[in-house]
Amino acid sequence: MARMKFICDTERCIECNGCVTACKNDNEVPWGVNRRRVVTVNDGIIGKEKSISVACMHCSDAPCMAVCPVDCFYRTDEGVVLHDKDICIGCGYCSFACPFGAPQFLSSGAFGVRSKMDKCTFCSGGPEANGSVAEFEKYGRNRLAEGKLPLCAEMCSTKALIGGDSEVISSIYAKRVSVREANGRYPSKDIFGWTTAYGPMDSSPKPTPADKIPGAKS
Amino acid sequence: MKLNLKTIGLCLAAAAFLAACSEPPEIAAKAAKRPDVAPYMGADNGFMTKNWTPSIDASWTESINKRNQNQSEYSRFK
Repeated sequence: MARMKFICDTERCIECNGCVTACKNDNEVPWGVNRRRVVTVNDGIIGKEKSISVACMHCSDAPCMAVCPVDCFYRTDEGVVLHDKDICIGCGYCSFACPFGAPQFLSSGAFGVRSKMDKCTFCSGGPEANGSVAEFEKYGRNRLAEGKLPLCAEMCSTKALIGGDSEVISSIYAKRVSVREANGRYPSKDIFGWTTAYGPMDSSPKPTPADKIPGAKS
Repeated sequence: MKLNLKTIGLCLAAAAFLAACSEPPEIAAKAAKRPDVAPYMGADNGFMTKNWTPSIDASWTESINKRNQNQSEYSRFK
């Protein structure tokens, strides 16, 4: 079973915002909502400027799911975190919990009334019938059900953003790192957000607080 | 004329009072979680790719993984 994830390679992202545009256009995301955005750090400093494309990372232990008071989130068998807009009450708790700022709300009206939450769906729609008009109007395209991958990743010009089964995209990234290392450049193997979203890379057991207290049972 | 205005007024009042009858029920059962259909079941539109068979998980996974490899330029230009 595939486990869908995103990787954004900071050494390749050129801040073209093509992923942002593709997402907004394909899913017809309304003005004021950005499911994906590009963040640049050290802007203008030669050699230190890095850009990263950020959206929902579909975390393994998603904090948005944990804090939702109406339990509108669910995880698909492919590991994609989705939500039901018919249940969402637009409280915004998920927005505070998310480490990536993924949940978005459309402000409308004179008093800034908040809409129901909107976020990246990994182009896999919602609980409505796959590929239906109702699904498109609420959640955007369901490209996974069409046999495709998220458009932001598929159309990335430098292939900085790659998305798909974690094993496949990890191997693609590992190949890049090995080529870089062979060329003596960019030895870092870190991937932005992966530890935050999916936990530590190594599977060795970590000491719990109870382990530090003599006689305590964990 | 007076009678007509009175009748119209009554009709409007009745419409206003009866408007609540058309309110959809807001009960907890309506907001129950619904099961989602797996992507390997395919989409009911004309945008599906042709190289896999809907409703067969292995076929979908194989097709997606092949498509995934297109994101690696090392596998494209050798």
